[in-house]
Amino acid sequence: MESLRLLSAAPSDRGSQRCRLGPGLMSALGLSLGSPLLVSVPGGSCLCTAWPRADLAEGFLQMDPKCCSLSLISQLPAHLNLEPGQLTPVSCPKLKGVRITVVVQSVEFKKHTPPRLVHELVKDMLRGVYVHQGFVINLEDFDTDIRYVVIESINPDSDTIGYITSKTGVEISGIQTVRHYRSQLQDQNTVALGGLDEVSASLREMLQLPLLYPNTLSALGVSCPRGVLLVGPPGVGKTLLVRRVVGEVGASLVVVRGPEVVGSRPGESEEKLRMVFERARSAAEEGPCVLFLDELDSLCPRRTGSSAPENRLVAQLLTLMDGMNQSDRFLIVGATNRPDSLDPALRRPGRFDREVIIGAPTLQQRKAILSVLCERMPVCPSVNLAELAQRTTGYVGADLSALCREAAMLAIRENSKDSGEQAMGMKHFLEALKSVRPSCLRSSLGRTELSPVTWEQIGGLDEVKLKLRQSIEWPMRYPEAFVRLGLSRPRGVLLYGPPGCAKTTLVKAAAASSHCAFLSVSGAELYSPYVGDSEKALAQLFRQARACTPCILFLDEIDSLIGSRSNSQTPNSVQTRLLSVLLNEMDGVGLKTLERRGTEKILQAEGAEESHPQEELDCQEVCNKDVMVVAATNRPDCLDSALLRPGRLDHIIYVPPPEQQARLAILKVCTKLMPVSSDVCLEELATNTELYSGADLENLCKEAALLALLDKNMEASTIEHTHFLRSLNKMSPSLTAQQINTYQTAPR
Amino acid sequence: MSKPAVISLHQALRRSFVCLENSQKVWRSVLLECGPLMESLGNLAEQSAALSSVQISNTPLRDFPELEDRLRFKLSQATDTVLSKLNDKMSSLQSVRDSVSNQLSAVQQQFEQNSDSLDVIDVTERSAATPSVADMMEWLQDAERHYRQQFLRRKTLLQTLRVDDFSLLESAPKRWKSLDSAEDPVTDTLCKVSFFMESQ
Amino acid sequence: MEGESGDITASSSNRKCSAVTGSARKTKDNAADWHNLMLKWERLNDDGFRAATSIVNLRRSQSDRLLVDESSSSSSPSLSSAAAAAQQVAAAAELQDECVKLQEVVDKMVAVVTKMGRLMTSQRGIRDLEEFQFGPEGRKVPLFHSWTSKQLEDSCHFLFAAFSQELRLKQTILQEVAHAATPDLGLVYLSCWLHQPFIPPNSRLTLEALLLETGHRPL
Repeated sequence: MESLRLLSAAPSDRGSQRCRLGPGLMSALGLSLGSPLLVSVPGGSCLCTAWPRADLAEGFLQMDPKCCSLSLISQLPAHLNLEPGQLTPVSCPKLKGVRITVVVQSVEFKKHTPPRLVHELVKDMLRGVYVHQGFVINLEDFDTDIRYVVIESINPDSDTIGYITSKTGVEISGIQTVRHYRSQLQDQNTVALGGLDEVSASLREMLQLPLLYPNTLSALGVSCPRGVLLVGPPGVGKTLLVRRVVGEVGASLVVVRGPEVVGSRPGESEEKLRMVFERARSAAEEGPCVLFLDELDSLCPRRTGSSAPENRLVAQLLTLMDGMNQSDRFLIVGATNRPDSLDPALRRPGRFDREVIIGAPTLQQRKAILSVLCERMPVCPSVNLAELAQRTTGYVGADLSALCREAAMLAIRENSKDSGEQAMGMKHFLEALKSVRPSCLRSSLGRTELSPVTWEQIGGLDEVKLKLRQSIEWPMRYPEAFVRLGLSRPRGVLLYGPPGCAKTTLVKAAAASSHCAFLSVSGAELYSPYVGDSEKALAQLFRQARACTPCILFLDEIDSLIGSRSNSQTPNSVQTRLLSVLLNEMDGVGLKTLERRGTEKILQAEGAEESHPQEELDCQEVCNKDVMVVAATNRPDCLDSALLRPGRLDHIIYVPPPEQQARLAILKVCTKLMPVSSDVCLEELATNTELYSGADLENLCKEAALLALLDKNMEASTIEHTHFLRSLNKMSPSLTAQQINTYQTAPR
Repeated sequence: MSKPAVISLHQALRRSFVCLENSQKVWRSVLLECGPLMESLGNLAEQSAALSSVQISNTPLRDFPELEDRLRFKLSQATDTVLSKLNDKMSSLQSVRDSVSNQLSAVQQQFEQNSDSLDVIDVTERSAATPSVADMMEWLQDAERHYRQQFLRRKTLLQTLRVDDFSLLESAPKRWKSLDSAEDPVTDTLCKVSFFMESQ
Repeated sequence: MEGESGDITASSSNRKCSAVTGSARKTKDNAADWHNLMLKWERLNDDGFRAATSIVNLRRSQSDRLLVDESSSSSSPSLSSAAAAAQQVAAAAELQDECVKLQEVVDKMVAVVTKMGRLMTSQRGIRDLEEFQFGPEGRKVPLFHSWTSKQLEDSCHFLFAAFSQELRLKQTILQEVAHAATPDLGLVYLSCWLHQPFIPPNSRLTLEALLLETGHRPL
């Protein structure tokens, strides 16, 4: 049979529940005049009564959506083509009873109309209507305050469809307003939230207690908290958390974004703010309500001067918050990522009573977030979320979701070529990791893109490598061993040694092998002509590093960056001030409250019921909370002794100039990619390059290669031994024996 | 010639339309009587509002003790009287509505009894003087729905009035009048079936 | 008052029961007079209400016109001022007319209340007489069905008090209605006039009881 075009219903049919069909189709479906039928359209279905079209034309369908499923409540999809198979004749027994929820337009109506009257009206309105369980009856055609009726259940419940007669009993289980109803409909499809269980539990409790049990609290004589301030860096999910919790508690949400309220005319902003509070108040009358002030810092900055327009707005907010009395059953939640720029008056009890700090997610939290994100994605079982979580230090929730999105895009791009199964593998995630960087570290000054260096790329120095591994890699990899022996991670490592001996490269390798966040800073970035700026920048650097621990903070050429207090000429130079900042940050009294992340976990030695990898993750989380400072210098004598004591830079590693064996190893690494002819004797070169540093050796190889090119006019294919010897002749070692002596004797 | 089922349905429909005609007359007359009552309701509300807005102690009437209370009492008494009269009118309207509803269900019942012998062709057959059964049943349904809607709207209007909300009371006559919709499906229907009703 | 009560005139009913004499005769006549006076009051009240309504309306249109004049005077002062002045004079005359009408109504009301006062005095006289005849307890057998002369006098007093207070209100309204500062106040005057706040709803009941007791209404 031909398909039917769905047209909008004629105005005269409004509220009639008729479905206009061609008479031919009616007889084909076995429908008689007024028999009920179920029309399914994309997204839902409608229960109608069949009726021939006035012009008796076939091929069209018009229906009045008096009784339709929830999703069609706002509007029927237009311009659809339906198959006749989408029309199902149904039988409708007369109902004994029906339980409904009434949705009314205004709060006033709900408040002032006696339930008896509502019942009377609704009963009259529903008479003669075919209803389907779970569907919504649209009563807008009556033009009263009663807008919809939701059919909760019907009696007899053997059927889902029925006909309401004047004898059908109507039981009203609740009355809601349209706004509340619609917001509830929206809340049903919120996204899941990962890794914020503790915070959301505490927030939920705060919401639920005063909103759901106000009588208990008042009986105890406790005044419930009215304001909660959420503090955390951008992207950790503050807004999402509030929406989610609000949806779970079943409260209605009034959202205010700071900039939306601010108007240009004087007094406009205050008025808008008052209106928002009024809206929340009226919403609170029909159930719990949360007033959410997003980006509070833009709304209420610290008051300055005397007549800034923001001052008035802050004052208005303070007044409004103080003006809330206990009968106003709504809660104010503010969110900000710059709590310090808020007006301090807002942060006292009675206004924002509680502050909930959401830090950048920890390892466990990241894993939880990832598992939530990947729940709906076709992810290969091979993907190891724990490992992924380890590699995403410093990523916040938003970053992780971007990461998953990017990985999914990669998978789609790849699979669209061969149209295979759409699954995301670990490689997609790893690829995505390269393009999605943590937003915690964005705009941080020490942010460096480092090309990964493996340990093998560094020749020799095995002892040093081992020491570095001990202090950086081991705590990550064997946390339980560290805990067992009561070891704590070293706070800092100082690498010293003659220049060009791979100190920087060593650190790079360490960072790459441990998947840490890596921040590197040099003097140029820190120094500023303004007094105090450099110190602030350094402190900021540490704060950011702490936000995404485990993290390595690399201070190259620390001697130039931070002087020594003993031998500097001016006691108050930038260097000394930086030194004091560094000392404080490394061994300070404690964390700032705002930098708290997750809850404090204390490892228990006993009761290891959890699975082993879980435990390991826990260990890692506990052990790797600190920032590891790695410093490198070639003038250790210039450093302040306070820096070198245990607790600060406690591992002091001498990176010696390469010995013969080491030089050989270095040369091997350097010539790995070079087509070296067979007569080249690297051992000989190694013996002849006493006092050459690693950099010198690399240079030597390069020089040899250039010489080879020079000789053979760009067509050289191999590098001969003679080239090496010639370049060796040209060069002189950059180190001197005396220099090395000073290193070996210098510190301590 | 038409089937016997169609003929009997026609008879039932004819009866219903006669009843509908009467109902329409009663409905109209009752509504006419309601008009002045609504007007006086609005007037009383206006007076109450004026009384509330005037500070008696600042007027020459300040010498009269309890004047405000007494006047308010009188006003609310008068309002009550008007409202109870309106309630009586509403019950007449309700009886009109109920009678039309009964007519409709009678026709529907008759249709259902004969539905086996009627196919879609039969019910959609129409001539110049006789509309099809489907059309007439539709009109009857529409008329019944019209009465039901009208009655419920008016009832809601009256029942949601509150003696202490003067603005609501003051606007009541206006809102009442706005319910007298310009297009009246019942009159249209009666025009459309006039030939049918005469063709006995 | 509604027509159904009719005009129970002293003449029609007391002719038939001419057997009643003395205090009872007097009381019965008084009751009939009460009824008639109250009817008359109602009629006067309606007349007065009409006059008061037109006064308030005139005042309102006057103030509206003033507003219009103020706005238009700037554009064409000389042209419209003559017409406006004429209009104002006409309106003022009309207002004066209505005020005189209202004055007349109130004067009549004063007369009615004076008569009511006399009725009450005579009722008190009857009671005093009975006290004198039968001692402080009054007569043993009730004058009509059950009421003592004290009760009769009380109801007369009740009615008189109500009407005289209402008259005071009417007089005040007469003084002030043409000078109401706001439309709202004008409306309050009008509704005071119409609804007669000092005549309680049971005054009607009291009158009916009086009529019933004295035999004007069949039991």
